[in-house]
Order: sequence, then structure tokens, then C-alpha cells
Amino acid sequence: MIEAITQFFTQHPLLWAFVKAVVLASFTLVIPLAVIYVERKIAGFIQSRLGPLHVGPQGTFQTAADALKLLLKEDIVPEGADKRFFYLAPYIAFVSTVLCFMVLPFAPGWVALEMNVAVLFIIGVSLFNVVSILMAGWSSNNKYSLLGGLRAVAQLLSYEIPMVLSVLAVVFYTGSLSLTGIIEYQVKHGWNIWHPPIMIAALIYFICALAEINRTPFDLPEAESELVSGFNTEYSGMRFAFFFASEFANNFFITAFAAALFFGGWDGPVLPPIVWTFLKVFVMIFVFMWLRWTPPRLRIDQILRFAWQLLVPVSLANLLFAIALGVR
Amino acid sequence: MSRQRAMRDTEYNPLVYFIDGLVTLFNGMVVTWRNLWRPKITVRYPYQRRPVPPRYRGLFYLKWNEEKQRLNCVGCTLCAQACPTDVISMVKLGKGTHAGVSEFTMDLGRCMFCNLCVEACPFDAIYMGPNYELASERRDVSLFRIADLAQGGEEAVRKNIETIERLLAEEEKAKPAHAAHAAGGQSE
Amino acid sequence: MVINVGPQHPSTHGVLRLILTLDGEQILACEPVIGYLHRGLEKMMERRPYRHNIPFTDRLDYLAALSNNLAICQCIERLGGVEVPERAQYIRVLLMELQRIASHLVFLGTFGTDLGATTMFLYAFREREMVLDLLEECTGARLTYNWVRVGGVPDDLPEGFGQKVLDFVKLFRQRIEEYDMLLTRNRIFRSRTQGIGVIPKETALAYGCSGPVARASGIPYDIRKVAPYEVYNRVEFDVPVFEDGDVWARYLVRMEELRQSLRIIEQVLRDMPDGPVQTKLPKIFKPPAGIAYSRVESPRGELSFMMVSDGGANPVRVHIRAPSFVNLSVLPRLLEGAKVADLVAILGSIDVVLGEIDR
Ligand code: SF4
Ligand code: SF4
Repeated sequence: MIEAITQFFTQHPLLWAFVKAVVLASFTLVIPLAVIYVERKIAGFIQSRLGPLHVGPQGTFQTAADALKLLLKEDIVPEGADKRFFYLAPYIAFVSTVLCFMVLPFAPGWVALEMNVAVLFIIGVSLFNVVSILMAGWSSNNKYSLLGGLRAVAQLLSYEIPMVLSVLAVVFYTGSLSLTGIIEYQVKHGWNIWHPPIMIAALIYFICALAEINRTPFDLPEAESELVSGFNTEYSGMRFAFFFASEFANNFFITAFAAALFFGGWDGPVLPPIVWTFLKVFVMIFVFMWLRWTPPRLRIDQILRFAWQLLVPVSLANLLFAIALGVR
Repeated sequence: MSRQRAMRDTEYNPLVYFIDGLVTLFNGMVVTWRNLWRPKITVRYPYQRRPVPPRYRGLFYLKWNEEKQRLNCVGCTLCAQACPTDVISMVKLGKGTHAGVSEFTMDLGRCMFCNLCVEACPFDAIYMGPNYELASERRDVSLFRIADLAQGGEEAVRKNIETIERLLAEEEKAKPAHAAHAAGGQSE
Repeated sequence: MVINVGPQHPSTHGVLRLILTLDGEQILACEPVIGYLHRGLEKMMERRPYRHNIPFTDRLDYLAALSNNLAICQCIERLGGVEVPERAQYIRVLLMELQRIASHLVFLGTFGTDLGATTMFLYAFREREMVLDLLEECTGARLTYNWVRVGGVPDDLPEGFGQKVLDFVKLFRQRIEEYDMLLTRNRIFRSRTQGIGVIPKETALAYGCSGPVARASGIPYDIRKVAPYEVYNRVEFDVPVFEDGDVWARYLVRMEELRQSLRIIEQVLRDMPDGPVQTKLPKIFKPPAGIAYSRVESPRGELSFMMVSDGGANPVRVHIRAPSFVNLSVLPRLLEGAKVADLVAILGSIDVVLGEIDR
């Protein structure tokens, strides 16, 4: 039976690609539901509240219900908006996230597209996110959105650089541009996180990751106390849902990427590899959420100053360090 | 008065600030971690309710006097006069020692729940109870009539009027006799 | 670019509207627009007998209703020469300090959210809820207390109230430590507040700022000390004064005041004598003709009432000096040259209540 299916798909690679695409896209849609639910519960617990409770046991279906509500809502397009860009922006954000998931290995062989330059691909594709935010902010014809969009672009671009540099440190250290290769290297030599240059790289990566997914203390683009809701102020219904979903899927992705780079991906004893991947991801997501509900947010000039004065030079120095200590 | 200088920080130094930031952030996370395990304070209204303290100022009630089989209110309008927003109006029933009210209306849409009327009443007739669920989607329900306010509802109002009317009638009957008696006394 | 912040904006704390002229993230000019909550309270008060006006003051500074009650009652007492029994004075001071804690906790929570520390909001409100429970037990209401009367307070403290307050004081001391750990010491928080929105001493004086705003600018001015009312001259407490005048200093003043309030509460509970709590007054209260002026230190600053009597049952003129209104007037000056992100920090640190501004 299984052989028959495998054979069928090997004969029709296009169909197989389609199946994978559908699975990935729905995964990208479903993952946010879980992440948002967990986020709301944790936020609630940290804040002495109970979080969602009423839809389903312990409120587990709350986010699904919310998503449904968003889908059924009227789709409002503001007057004077640049329609084409306004329509396009959320889908670009979403597609860029799906594309990232495409090259992410969950377990040995569990990867939609084995790519030997996966790391470069991810770095390139995730930049689309910035484009979509700028598009959304600009096309909404709303001053708050514009301010949010501009802030977001300044922030994301500044943090992209130290992030790429710290990822490159891993690449040079392990001598592989493919995620599978990096993980296999770690299976052999122990997790990257225990190696000094990568330790620094990991720290920088985490800080940048926080900035990339717009979390406190770097949640300026959507600082609701200042900018109402930032770049997505004018979005409603489905389009908003896509932005929201891509943001949380991104959250998931960025931790999964970190797990692959620093924590040995699926590597771990006893449990099956896929469980290890998810375990690591969820622990990291928990830390992110815990962090999110603790500090206040920085100001835009402080954020940029921090990135350019500290993170960029340190990550550059660290890159040289990693190259010097690298295996090859 | 103590005059002090605020705790100031040193000149901006990226590395010092960064490390300080990490440390203090960790401190903060310790606090949030602790709170993660504290008992939650959510009261799941309307499934759960907080106990209401005895002094709570909620919906009014007119006190029912079991002994005398009537409401304590004598219709003296002191409460209406004490009210800053003219919430209370009433129809007095009878006069003298057995006076009461046959109608007592409060337009709670205007009420501030300030307690002044309760304090003004010399006969312990009006009180504020523990009911705080007075929200409604319609405007006209803010008008509370005597049957909504009296302890014991319709039944109490009916009995109240009965008792007062009976007493008034008795008084009325007793009056001529008393007058005759007085007249008789004079003639003696 | 001109943007319109409010009247419906998450961080204008009510219905304040600010018209900002921006250059990128820089604010060039700011024009506050007020009056969305105007109810003509002063005029309303002139149409009603003196004591009917007390509940209206609940609606002025709704976060510190008791301070307003006290201010108007003091004014009427001065007008009519009414004595207040000693126990009532102690109760008043106790309630005022509880109210100050509740009000400063609202500041702390909303200030935290404004800067992005959402959790602080929940923590501060959790503790505020405890204060409100206490006040509810004593007064019967949670927000609009109306629990000060001309000539005293309406009723004695409920049974066992003192012990409950002491329990709260004990718990709250620990919680303040937690706030310090979570927020005050936080590097990001400090970078966001230090050196922002500086009000120099001269400006504060020129604009007539009072309360924490003045004290953060180096003006040692607290009505509780300079013109003690009730029994404030019998309790020991410090008034924190800072020289810097920035958002950070205003925050620190309020945090320190929380601690001092706890101190006052403990002393008041210790020293409170027994006795009556209210002076009997005639049914129709007609003070002699004259003018009376009273001032109290509300959590937001110097709150004063002025009443003119012509010997009749109603006042002929009432004027309210609302501290928020005066403090808000420095805002345009503070915002010139600030960043948009600092707007919320500065506005939050002035801690205005719109009910009081618009009256
Ligand atoms: S509570 Fe106040 S406003 Fe309401 S009826 Fe009584 S006196 Fe009037
Ligand atoms: S409730 Fe009290 S004050 Fe009001 S009319 Fe009745 S007896 Fe008089």
C-alpha cells in the first residue's frame, strides 16, 4: 500500500509537490492556532488570569473560533487605499512564511524540499516579510499604519544584518549551507550551542529573532499604545487573519530554525526525532512568551542604536572568531 | 520633607547597558515566573460571584415590618428631598400616625447610588441591598415601582395598603367616639 | 504630517484629544483639545443645597473620589464653621491614603501598559482590586464612594476593618518590591523614562503644577505638609522630592508615595481614638454669608474648592481647582521636540484624569 503510494508520487512529481504545498500551507495556518492559544494561556497565567476558558475544554477551540469569526467578518478596504498593494500585502507575508517552512527539516527526511543552500534561501525569503509590512503600511492610507510600517522596516532591516551574520557564523563553523547538513553535523559533534563562538551567535540570534517577530521589547511596529495597531491598523477580517497567522507562524518558524541551527534539530535521546523538534520549539516559544510579558518596549532610536552600535560589530567579530575556529 | 536625587545612570555605554539590560530583564522574568504559579484571581462571573459586603450599595428596598404587617415608610418625602437628582417620587396614603405610601417610584436611570436618601430617612424605611445586576437593554426598565422595591414584592404592597387602610378606618371609627367622650366630659 | 491622537486612542487616558504636528517621529507641536466630558458641574452645584453636591464630586476625579469628597466637605465645613470629631478625622486620613494607593496603582498600571509592559497593568490592578475591596467594605461602593459628610463621615469603620488593612499593608510592602524588580530596575524602562519630558523647576512654578509633577521638579510642595488638614500634622511621613523633573522622577515620586501612604496608614490605625464620627447638623443647612476655600492633596496634586455663600441654602458660586487641568497645561511645552513614542510616556507620567479636567 505505502509502496504503491510512494510509487504513484514518484511517477507524478508535480502532484507530489502539490500535496506537499497543501500540507505546508495548512500547517502554516494551523500552527498559529496552537501557538496563539498557548500564548494566551501563558499570558493569562503570568498575569494572574485564567486565559480563554469557554470554547471547548479549557478554551482550546477559542482561537479556532476566533479565526472563524475573522473569516466571516466584513472585509473593509479604506477609502483612498492603494488597492492592489493593500490586497497583496497579507498574502505576501503569508507566502514568505510558507516558503520558509518548505526547507525546514522536522526529522530525518521530513523536509518538503531538500535544498543545499537552505539557509541562504530562508534568509532571502524571510525578507519578503519586510516588503509586505511596508506595502501594508504604505497602502493603507493611514498615518498610524505608515508610521508603523516605517518603524517596522527600519527595525527589521537593522536586525536582519546581525541575524544573518550570526547565522553565517554557524554556517562557517559547521561548513554547511544546508539545514540537514548542519543538523547532521551536530548529531556527530554535539549541539552547536556548546561551542563558544556559536554561543554568542545564538544570543545575538535570539535578540534579533525577537525583533524580527516584533515581540516585546521590540514590538514597536505594532505598539498599540502609540500607534493603535501599527501597520495593520486598517486591516480587518480575512486579511488581518493572514497577517496574524503569518506572524505567529513566523514565531514558530524562527524558533524551529534556531533549534536546527543551535540545538541539534531533531537530535535527542529516546523520543522520536519529530517529538524532539517540537519539544525544543515549544520550549523556546515558551521562553519567548515569558519574555514578551515581562519588559516594556524600547524606543525606535534606542532599538536602532542597539543594533548598529553593539549587535553588528559584535556579530562581525564573532563571525571571524567562528571562521577561525571552524572545522574546515 | 526629604529631598533626594533620582537614581541616575551612567553615560550611555552599549555593552554596560546591554549586560545591565540582560540582568534586569532576568530579574523581571523571575517576578513573572513567580506569578505564573500564584493562584489566579479571575472570578468567573457570571458562574462565580464575589461575596457582597453588608454595606454594599446596590438596588434599593423598602423595609417590610413583619410585626406591624406594613412597610416602614410613612411617606414623609424626606428621602425625596435629600436626593440631589430627584429620583424619588411617592403617593402618600392617609395621614397622621398611620400614614404610609401607596406608590413609591424611583427612576434609577438618574440615581447615583449615593446613599443620601437612606441616611435621610428617619424611619428606617429605605435601604440599599446587595443586588448589583441592574443593567438592561431598555430604558423604561430603569423605573422601579413600589412592587419592585418593597421587601416581599406585590404581596407586601397589598398587605401594606390593607393594613394601613384598616388602621385608618379604625382610627376614623374611634374618632367620633373619642370626640363624644370628650364632649361628654365637658358637659359633666 | 498632522496626526490626531484621541479622543479615542488607547493611551490618552480618557477623552483627551491631541493634535500633533509631526516630522517623522519628531513632534513639532501639540495642541490638546479638551471638553469632551464637560458637564457643567460647577453650575449644577450652584443650583443645589450644599450637601447635595457631595456625590457630584465623585465624578470629578473618578480615580480618587474620596479626595474630592473631602475637599468639598472641608470647604462647606469652613463656610459653616462645623467641627469634625477626632475619630472622623482619623478615618478620613485613613481612607484618603487608601485612595491614594488605589489611584497611584492605576497610574502605575497604565503607565506600564503605555510603555509596553502589559503585565504591570494586571499586577497593579490586582493590588488595586484589594484596596477597592477594602474601600467597598467600608463605604459600600467601589468607585464613587461618597463617604465623607459635612461634619464627619457617615458611619464608623466596619468590624475588623483595621486588621484587614494591616494585612493588606503587609502584603503590599512585598508587592512594591516586586514592582521594583519588574519595572523600576528594568534597564529598558529606565532608558525610556530618564531625561524624557523634563519640566524645569521654573516652568513648573510658572504653570502652577502641583502634586507629584511639582515634587519631581524639585518643588517641596505638599498640602499635607504646608497646610496640614485633618490629622496630617500628627502623623509622620516624608514627602519625596526629586530635582530632575523628568518622567523617571515623577514615577519615583509616586512609588515613594505608595510607601509613605503605607506608613501613614499604620500610624493612623495605631493612634485612632474612639468616639463619635459625625457632628449633628440642622436639617436645612444655611451657612453664614462669606467665602471659603479649602485645599487637599489629592493623588494628582492640589485640589481646591471655593464656595461663596450668601446665607441661603445653595452656594452662589462654586469653583474647583482641578490639579489635572493645571498639570496638563504644561503638556504642549513638554512635547515640543519629543518623539512620538515619548508622547505616551510623558502624558502617562503627568497622570491626568479627564473627568476632572472637563468638569
Ligand atoms: S441614592 Fe442618591 S441619587 Fe439615588 S435616590 Fe438616593 S439620594 Fe437619590
Ligand atoms: S423612605 Fe423614609 S424618608 Fe422616604 S418617605 Fe419613606 S419614611 Fe420618609
